[in-house]
Amino acid sequence: MTRQELDAALARLGLDVPAQERDEILAAAHLYEDMARRVKNPRWVGAEPAHTVAFPEQ
Amino acid sequence: MVADHLTIVEAARLIKRKELSPVELADSRLARIETLDGQLHSFIRVLPDEARRGARACEAEIMAGRYRGPLHGIPIGLKDIYETAGIPTTGHSKVMQDHVPAVDAFTVTRLKDAGAVIMGKLATHEFAFGGPSFDLPWPPARNPWDTTRFTGGSSSGTGAAVAAGLVLGGTGSDTGGSIRGPAAYCGLAGIKPTYGLVSRAGILPLAFSLDHAGPLCWTAEDCAIMLQAMAGHDPADPASADRPVPNFRRALTGEVKGLRIGLVRHFYTTDNEANAETRDAIDAAARQFAEMGAAVREITLSPLAEWASCGVLIMMAEAYAIHEANLRTRFTDFGEIFRDRMVLAGLWSAADYVQAVRRRRELIDEFDRAMADLDLVMTAAAPSEAPKIDAVPKFAIMERPSLTMPFNVTGTPAMSVCCGFTAAGLPLSFQIVGKRFADATVLRAADAYERATPWRQRRPAL
Repeated sequence: MTRQELDAALARLGLDVPAQERDEILAAAHLYEDMARRVKNPRWVGAEPAHTVAFPEQ
Repeated sequence: MVADHLTIVEAARLIKRKELSPVELADSRLARIETLDGQLHSFIRVLPDEARRGARACEAEIMAGRYRGPLHGIPIGLKDIYETAGIPTTGHSKVMQDHVPAVDAFTVTRLKDAGAVIMGKLATHEFAFGGPSFDLPWPPARNPWDTTRFTGGSSSGTGAAVAAGLVLGGTGSDTGGSIRGPAAYCGLAGIKPTYGLVSRAGILPLAFSLDHAGPLCWTAEDCAIMLQAMAGHDPADPASADRPVPNFRRALTGEVKGLRIGLVRHFYTTDNEANAETRDAIDAAARQFAEMGAAVREITLSPLAEWASCGVLIMMAEAYAIHEANLRTRFTDFGEIFRDRMVLAGLWSAADYVQAVRRRRELIDEFDRAMADLDLVMTAAAPSEAPKIDAVPKFAIMERPSLTMPFNVTGTPAMSVCCGFTAAGLPLSFQIVGKRFADATVLRAADAYERATPWRQRRPAL
């Protein structure tokens, strides 16, 4: 992620983040990208999420 | 003269025999808070009038022959995310410092009904997530074993107050390890019960699908007593399980013979490498269980980073949704750690969140398969003793995979148990984990281990 991408994302989110904190957040952005990559391992197209709702029988 | 340190079991025995007055006990804790909490900062708000009033009522009931049980007259503290009627519940945040709930959380009502005396509201990481922070309206709690050290979080005040003997037990919440972390660093027993066993209603949320409420105490038996009061069905919590609650204390037989325990060693030897003293202490605990007749064998699960990534993504996405409006309008009213972690969560996509929840199902299935021929799993609760309080990185939860998060992902009961001390005298800990709703088995193993080892005899020198 570049600084411009971060600034654009923060503008979209409506967050008024001080400049120094933006630098630290940018430096940590790869941690998020690593985590997001880890949960995207190949899986069957129909693999369900954990919180699929099961309504109790009436 | 009341002893500086008493377990709930010890105090309850004296109170039941009318050898210790709840008023005397509450006064002794208030005096201890007055003496020690200036250096520990475990309380956000001490409630001396309410505590004395509650203790007097307990005393009157007991003297009239209406003894309620082992929490009757016992001084406890509440993490300041547990709502209390007429008493501010702040989440340790400027954002909610004027929030005064109209009613008690379900669990607070249950604890009061059991006769517990509420001593006050305890420090937490901001909204059970951001800390240790030095830019909030209240300072962070400090570790009674060494006040330059971190308590762990987010149930930081509870960890400090129980370890220091300011209260005999306290409530915590655990979304990624916030009961087990402070229990580990402060040398306590702390149980994150099965998801659904204890109501979350009236507790400020961090992440709906991962939040658990539970107790931190000096011993597993004390945890069993507090959990007994806190557990039970609550229609106000949509995740609350409508099933009978077992008698946890009765399950504490002191025996582990025949229990099958899987040791997840790779979590703390390679995935998040623990220091030598921690590794040795956990390995010794595993040998102790084997000597007591349990069948201990090493097992392998998916790498820790897989579990942690899944849990952290879900936790932060759900937390962002909860705090989104205030982040937009009051960004700098939050502490820097909380708000900057939340910004990262704002960068998640909806698809990232759904992928994490799909991964969660796979990991739950994997854990259930691993448990098919096991009763318990054990592993580390933390990779080391408590670090210095000013040495905790802002993005710590993302830099090293959490050893506790896997069992928030699975929703299974998990407990920190003290298993010794470093050469410098700081507590070490391991984690014991059970099958869903087998909380009694977890408590039974923890209690048996505590009875067989000397670690509960040592208290912080304050």
